Parts: sequence; C-alpha cells; structure tokens
Amino acid sequence: MPEPFELHGVVHLVRPIGYRAHDLESLRVGIAGASAQTLFYHAYQPQLRYSAVTDLPPDDFSAWVNGVVQDRETAERLSFAVQHRAGSCAELRDALVQVLLSVPEKARLQRAAPDEGDFVFLEMDSVAVETGRYASDSVELMQHLAEVEPVVIFYHLVEQPWLDPERPSLIHWVEKGGDRRLAEWLRLSLMSGLPLEEGRRRLMRRWRQSRLGRSVAEATASPEHERREAGRRAVAGLVRRITQSEQSDDPGHDS
Amino acid sequence: MTLVTIRSDGSSLLEGYRRTVGQRTLTVLERVARRLKGHRIVMVNSTSTGGGVAEILHRLVALLNELGVPTTWEVMPGDARFYGITKTIHNTLHGWPGSLSPEDRDYFHEMNRRAAERLALDGDLVLIHDPQPAAIVAHRRRPHQHWVWRCHIDLSRANPEVWDFLAPEVTRYDAAVFSHVAFVPPLPIPAYLVPPSIDPLSDKNRELSEEEEDALLDPLDLPSRKPWITQVSRFDRIKDPSGVVDAFLLARKREDAHLVLAGGTADDDPEGAEVLNEVQTKVAGRSDVSVLSLPPDAHLTINAMQRRSTVVLQKSLREGFALTVSEALWKRRAVVASAVGGIPLQVLHERTGLLVRSIEGCAFQITRLLRSGELRRRLGQAGREHVREHFLHPREACDYLAVFARLIERGI
Repeated sequence: MPEPFELHGVVHLVRPIGYRAHDLESLRVGIAGASAQTLFYHAYQPQLRYSAVTDLPPDDFSAWVNGVVQDRETAERLSFAVQHRAGSCAELRDALVQVLLSVPEKARLQRAAPDEGDFVFLEMDSVAVETGRYASDSVELMQHLAEVEPVVIFYHLVEQPWLDPERPSLIHWVEKGGDRRLAEWLRLSLMSGLPLEEGRRRLMRRWRQSRLGRSVAEATASPEHERREAGRRAVAGLVRRITQSEQSDDPGHDS
Repeated sequence: MTLVTIRSDGSSLLEGYRRTVGQRTLTVLERVARRLKGHRIVMVNSTSTGGGVAEILHRLVALLNELGVPTTWEVMPGDARFYGITKTIHNTLHGWPGSLSPEDRDYFHEMNRRAAERLALDGDLVLIHDPQPAAIVAHRRRPHQHWVWRCHIDLSRANPEVWDFLAPEVTRYDAAVFSHVAFVPPLPIPAYLVPPSIDPLSDKNRELSEEEEDALLDPLDLPSRKPWITQVSRFDRIKDPSGVVDAFLLARKREDAHLVLAGGTADDDPEGAEVLNEVQTKVAGRSDVSVLSLPPDAHLTINAMQRRSTVVLQKSLREGFALTVSEALWKRRAVVASAVGGIPLQVLHERTGLLVRSIEGCAFQITRLLRSGELRRRLGQAGREHVREHFLHPREACDYLAVFARLIERGI
C-alpha cells in the first residue's frame, strides 16, 4: 500500500457573491459566470445539507425554478442535469446553460420570481480540518468511513474530486493500493446523488458482503473451537443488529 | 459590572454534548478549535438576560473556553433612553415605520463611545452582536485585531434611512455574519452566513421526566385533556400574537383544542407590556386560551410546555431566526410556522414541519395536524434529526471558529 491516507473534514463558510437572479435569463447569466465553488454549492452541497433525510430535496437551482418561478418543466430538466452528475464544473455549467437556453428568450424573461423571491448566488469557502484519522489499507479506511461524520465522506468522495480533480484523491489512493473494486464502489457512491447516510449504508453493506467470502475461506483453516466461538460472536452481532433495527423503527425511540 | 461571569456547575459541556449529539459532531469542532489556540475572543452584546442572543452567549462562551479558546463576554451598559433608541433601530431595521432624530443619533454614538472606553475589548478577535453596540468598532485601538459584526436580525426590509445611519459603522468591521442570505445588505466587507443554534443541554431543551413535567405544569392550571396549540415568543407585534389567536379560533371551529400563548419581555424591549395587554384584552373571557407572561428564567416551564404541546406555532410577521422553532423540532413537536426570516431553514415544508403564509393557512395546517398523529410523528422525527445536524450549539461554535480561522489565515 502507498503512504497512509489522512482523512479530512471541512467546514463550509457560505457567503453571497452579490449577484441575484430574478428570472430564467438572469439565472442563465449567473450560472454562465459563476465560480466552481458557487456552482458546486448550489448543485451538490444539498447532499450534505440534508444528509439525514431519506428523500433528498432537489438542488437549489431546480428548487427555485420549481417553487418560486413555478416553471415545472425547466425545473425537471435542471434537476436531471444536476443529478446526471456532469463530471466537471465546465460540463455542469454547460448542461445547465443549455437547459435554460432551450427556453425561448422572451419566455426566459417572462418567467420570473415574485417580489423578494430572487435567487441569491452563494459561494462556498471550504476550511479543511484534520480529523487525526489515518488509513493504511482498505480495511482500515472502511472502518474509518463507517464512523466518521458525513462531512468527511462528502469532502473526500464528492467535493474534493469535483472541485480539485488534479489533486490525488482518496479514490486514487485506493486504486494505487491495488483495490480497484473498492475504488470503483467509492466512485459510484460519489455519483449516486443519494443522501449521504443512505450512500454510506449501501457502501458498507457492499463492503461487508465482499468480505464475507474471504472471512469464510480464512475461517476454514482455523481450529474447531475457534470456528465455534466465531459463530457465537456472529449470532450475537446479528441479534444486536436486529434489536437496534427494531428500536430505530419505534417512533418513541430516540436513536 | 459589564463583564458577564459564566456560571458553571463544574460539569463538562463537551462531555454533555458528546452524550447528546454524538462524538461525530464534535470532532470537527475540536479540530477547528486547535487552529485558534493562542488567540483570545471577546463577545459583546447589550443584555445578559432575555432574548435568544443572551441565551446563545451563555453557552457559547463556556463551550469555547472548554475547547481551549479563551473567550470573555462583555455587556454594553445602557439606560432607558438608549434602549428606546435601539428599539427604534431594531423595529425600523425589521421594516416598521420610525426614524431617528439627530439627538438620538448623537446619543447612540455617545453611548457606544463610552462603552468602548469601559469594556475590556482586548481580544485578538472581537465579535459584536446586533446593532446596539455596532458603533463601538469606530473606537478600536489595538492593531491586528479582527472585528466581526454578528447581525441576528432580518435586514431584508430595513428602513433605508436607519440602515444608512448604521452601514458606515458596519463597513469598519473585517467581516459580518448573518443568519440568512435574505438578510444580507450590500456590503464591501466579507459577509458570511451562520444560522444561530439552540443548546440541547439547557433547561429549555434537556429531556424531562413525566414527573418533572407535571410538577412544572400543574401550577399553570392548563387543561390536561385537550390538545395544546402553543406559541412561545416574546410579546412583540413582530411575533403576531393577535394573528395566532385568529388562526386558533378558525381551527377551533373544526377541532377542539386549547391555545397557549406564552412569553416574556426582554430587558431591552420597552413595548412588551403594551403588546401583552393588547392580547389579554383580545382573549378576555375565553376559557380555551391561556396567556402566560413568564419570567426570563422560566426555561424549564417552557421546555415542559413545548413537550406537552400537540402543535407548536411560530406565526411571526418578521423574524431574525426564531429559535423557538428549533426548540420545538428538537422535542419532536409538529410545527406550523410562517415562511419568514430564518424559519424556512428549519422548517422544510412537509419534511420537518409546515410553512404558512396567512391566518387561514395557519388554521388549515393546525386542523390537519390535530387530525393526524402519523403526520405529527413523521414531521417531528425528521425535525429532530434536522436540528441535530444544523441547529445545535456545537455547529454554530464551529462556524464562528472557522470564520475566525479564515480571517487570521488571510490576514484580513
């Protein structure tokens, strides 16, 4: 494996850039001239902002066009452009601008927000912080990813690869260590657009299942009493998980 | 005394937060705090009791100290005339009519000058809260200090004359912090967005046993068999207590319930008693409405009242942020609130609560919630998780520290 990888968290400082859109045309102009940090904040940061909800609200652009301008069709198409996860800032910008350009110019000016309903363009300033967690191999990495706060996952799997694609990312590190399958899963989870906690759950499930075969193969070489003990531990773990799941289904239980 | 002494029972705040919100939320906060080791922070506002800002500062100051960032809290001294002027500033910045005479303006500056002389503003980072002490910055003396203005109020409809009076002071700061994007006026300095937060460990928000709730609520003599529709707010026209009564009376035609209007007045709000009197007159003779004027330290009573409520309202006409919404959501209450100020950040419509824009809309949603326990449970559970992530003190402390870290790194 390469050098241990240090996991980082991030605090997003958010500030207005001083530009407001009042109609679809000024939205197009704003998107065409927006920085990568601005586009990223409005398109993808909601994934972190609403990381605990099960039905992720749409990106900020579509939400405004749908809820304030009330142009449902354009909102749907903007949502698709964002969800489709254009791989880079330039691609996303182009995709969004194309959707807006497909609305005739006159209609772009007519489809406007009511008073005080302007879309305010914001910029995200990321203050990265060390978590003090290092992974020296894939197993250790996945242990960390199971425990860290959502922002760490968001930073490494969504934000950093998108905003700074030239810099070696966590996924590159996993690839370099030879675990191509895990690298691919991480890449897919990045592109899923799922709420972060749900994305984490799916990633962990996949990882655990992939480890099952290896654990069984290793266990067959162990002596009988060790296998029996491992079986007991597995059953106890299963009971614990079922109990926790039942408790979290109970509306009165605060998990 | 202008310096507020934070009382502590000796228990660790960090440990308490760890138990309540989990270690995950604290890890980033602890790491950002390390970046500010060796720097001192001074917080300044105009009251140590009453109102959301004072409540936040009591905990925030203690938390930052425990994180190893020495922080003090100074309260600007004032008198009745000064508070009258700052109430006009507060109301007009919220968009209500009013103006400042030349004498008022001079007195405001004079009180700020005196405060600058009297307060210990010797930190590396000075965080001034709200308009009352905003002009102290004109008297900053130490070089290399970073001054930040924290505005907790909604400036989106600010009276231009009053804002023009205040703006030159605000531009003297290195940065400003606002609760919501809609509140940010054009400024030549960096303006960051930091929503305020509630304290899950405070008497107002901590878990209560049923016995504790009974003991706190029994003296209020509220009906125990009817569902309570509750609004907890200062008695202030901006909170629209009269509109709350109207909405309740419309909903009451469909479903039986009891309205509880509970609140107090802040030290720096001379209109509170007048508004309370108006509301009492409006509901005189009604047995299905209780108007409770609570002392500023009735935190446990408010906590118990919110927990026992079936629906919690916040039908404000204007808002800075309305922390009572997060308080109710944290207790898994079903919330109906106006789509003003910072409320839509907390109430995601149909996900964590219900947003309304009229008295009729408010009545409709109250009735809907009274009829569906399932809807109340779903919104309440999602609301609690939303608050856990975004509106608790550790997150706000983390944002302030990140702003300071950024200012220091960039040498602003």
